[in-house]
Amino acid sequence: MARLTLTGITKSYGPVQVLHGVDLTVAKGEVHGLLGENGAGKSTMLNILSGVIRADGGSIAVDGAPVTIASPQGARAAGIAMIHQELQQVPELTVAQNMYLGRPLRRLGGLIVDRGTQEARARAVLAQLDPGIDPAAPVGRLRVAQRQIVEIGKALLGNARIIAMDEPTSSLTPTEFERLVQVIAALTAQGVSVIYVSHKMDEVFRLCQRATVLRDGRRVGQVDIADVSPPQVIEMMVGRELAQASHRSFATGQVMMRVQGLTRGRHVQDAGFTLHRGEVLGVAGLVGSGRTELMRLIAGVDRAEAGTVEIAGRVVPQGVRARISAGLGLVPEERKREGIIRHRPVAVNMALPSMRLFSRLGITRAAHLNRTAETVMGDMQLRPLAVRRAIGTFSGGNQQKAIIGRWIAARAQILLFDEPTRGIDVGAKAEIYALIERLASEGHGIIVVSSELPEVIRLSDRVLVMREGRIAATLPGPEITEANIARHAIPATRP
Amino acid sequence: MTKSPFRHLRLRDAGTLLGLLLIGGVFAVLTPVFLTAPNLLNILQQSSINACIALGMTLVIISGGIDLSVGPVAALSAVVGAALMVGGAPIAVAVLAALGVGMLCGLMNGVLITLGGLQPFIVTLGGLSLYRALALIFTGGTPIFGLPDGFRALTNGTLLGVPNPVVVVAVLALLAWVVLNKTPLGEYLMAVGGNAEAARISGVPVTLTKLAAYMISGALAAVAALILLGRLGAAEPTMGNLWELDAIAAAAIGGASLMGGRGSIIGTLVGCIILGALRNGLTLMNVQAFYQLLATGIIIIVAMLIDRATAGKEGH
Repeated sequence: MARLTLTGITKSYGPVQVLHGVDLTVAKGEVHGLLGENGAGKSTMLNILSGVIRADGGSIAVDGAPVTIASPQGARAAGIAMIHQELQQVPELTVAQNMYLGRPLRRLGGLIVDRGTQEARARAVLAQLDPGIDPAAPVGRLRVAQRQIVEIGKALLGNARIIAMDEPTSSLTPTEFERLVQVIAALTAQGVSVIYVSHKMDEVFRLCQRATVLRDGRRVGQVDIADVSPPQVIEMMVGRELAQASHRSFATGQVMMRVQGLTRGRHVQDAGFTLHRGEVLGVAGLVGSGRTELMRLIAGVDRAEAGTVEIAGRVVPQGVRARISAGLGLVPEERKREGIIRHRPVAVNMALPSMRLFSRLGITRAAHLNRTAETVMGDMQLRPLAVRRAIGTFSGGNQQKAIIGRWIAARAQILLFDEPTRGIDVGAKAEIYALIERLASEGHGIIVVSSELPEVIRLSDRVLVMREGRIAATLPGPEITEANIARHAIPATRP
Repeated sequence: MTKSPFRHLRLRDAGTLLGLLLIGGVFAVLTPVFLTAPNLLNILQQSSINACIALGMTLVIISGGIDLSVGPVAALSAVVGAALMVGGAPIAVAVLAALGVGMLCGLMNGVLITLGGLQPFIVTLGGLSLYRALALIFTGGTPIFGLPDGFRALTNGTLLGVPNPVVVVAVLALLAWVVLNKTPLGEYLMAVGGNAEAARISGVPVTLTKLAAYMISGALAAVAALILLGRLGAAEPTMGNLWELDAIAAAAIGGASLMGGRGSIIGTLVGCIILGALRNGLTLMNVQAFYQLLATGIIIIVAMLIDRATAGKEGH
């Protein structure tokens, strides 16, 4: 008997139907992938399962018995738990307190929280998952990966039989991912079923036995992972075949930028390299190895304690504006926090660094700005091509196009991409890759920081591998392999 | 694209305007005097000082800040300007000096906030005491009398039947509207208030933008001070008590978000007139001042509740 069966789930928001009778069946002890592009209906399905929203139609059964999930409490009672992408924890409270958040164990007639028993039970559950986590430690002191395991432990404490994980690896290092694989194995061994939502095909193929693929609010199909290949699954997700292009190089020998001795604390130490016209330089390394920090130093967002950035033979002073004038542009890692002005139109978001080009005598040339935005964004296939609409209403991939368009409009020559496809769906990802290649072919110098090795390998002419704040290796084209990158990225274990 | 003259009137502004019409309608029914030309001009004139302050406040709020020091800045500008006039300086020089004092106070607020890295609330709360103290110390606590008639005539005159202060504030409002909606500075203000980190990475001159907002606020506080100076004929060092609250209220009623990034000049102006019309109408009806205060409080909270309930209905 199936552990969880959803049949004919429908959901509309006003006139927009987002789920058209979706079925989902998860077996006992199974890891089941839930796949689809952004907007395919995955989040809506998860929200219905976790009781955040109610389905308009369809039925849900757990272990064959029909259940009604009208609230998060209802979901918990049905044995369904959700591990959100952004963990919902109170950093100041202890691990055990977080695991009992909202439903503390009480004694003395409910007046006093029984912290001792809470910690003992939390310890017992965590022992199966990660014995290294101290239930009395404040959650804020744990690393993200451990906080995630705390959430999973919380689900187990609530006797969850089905745990849905929404993009659980978006901020995990490869080592931490291995830990998660073990945790998931421990869960399934106990008969817990896992619904695994992810964009990353390698993870899905490693972890899941079966997967349900959604597209435009419909179930495209359910597949046995053993019987399909990643390109087949991607094709199901996007509804067309993605050209699996191989790497194309446009690198020249002409030096565009020379970075020397760049240093900031322990994050970046004595980093130096050159970037050539038309070159795509990949930067790989573990989370925390200093990749983002290096990009921020080059872009002038943070101040370097030592070192220089030289563009076209001239040392460029520190500061974002000086670096932008010299032709640099940063496409930051956290789009929401560092990239977009949510309420403002796409056109304005695009024009921010180059308002001088779009104004005359101190007055904005709105028509010129909107026309240019339409040209630039049309060229980048912004969908829908509504440059006067607030950027916050667009999907992640389209927001990213606007941020890239920002530097095209500013005529930047060197573009720094920090995790350019994070949180972007598969179809848009291919578009971003094509765009990066086109920019290189037009003679831009490009640096791509990425945690996804296939991405680095696919795009880069050369790869810098960072380790503990230093550039540990520079790999030329033929030497760019996952094994080589991993070898240089992982710190040597000290006795 | 429509070329309607109302194409700039956003939904939120239309809502504020509707609120004004409602309040006006109620008073028009209750007191016949309310809807007469002299009384309407009276309302505008009474609202002009708050409007002047609120214009600057709106720009500051949009930039993600707040300026609690406007009242004392006005007082300090007033006493300096008045002292110069009484001392025989030309009116133009005194006016420029008053504006200069206002901008200087704004610059100091701005420098402490940007380069000092302090929170706008705290800096301008400090300024609230500091500038008041300077005004009191400068005058020894006593008002400055004896302003030249030429100056008083400026602020008490009319242009085509419209009181000069109303004309001045209308021109300033038009300028503020242009700055906010038609210039790079306006975009920078909304960008900095909407997401300061993203604005910085995009090369927006964040520090200059914030300095500009606080300096404009200081200068407009000085203009408000000059208007009141002309009306009273004397410079009180205690002038401008609680002006900041009326201005914040008007901006909020008009749709400015105290989180920054959003706000409207038209909305703020209408917000000022709503507050002015409310006081005027209640006074005409001989309602006790205590109840006027009550009504003001209710209007602010109701406006915010409506705002909350309709949030997200607009496409931005």
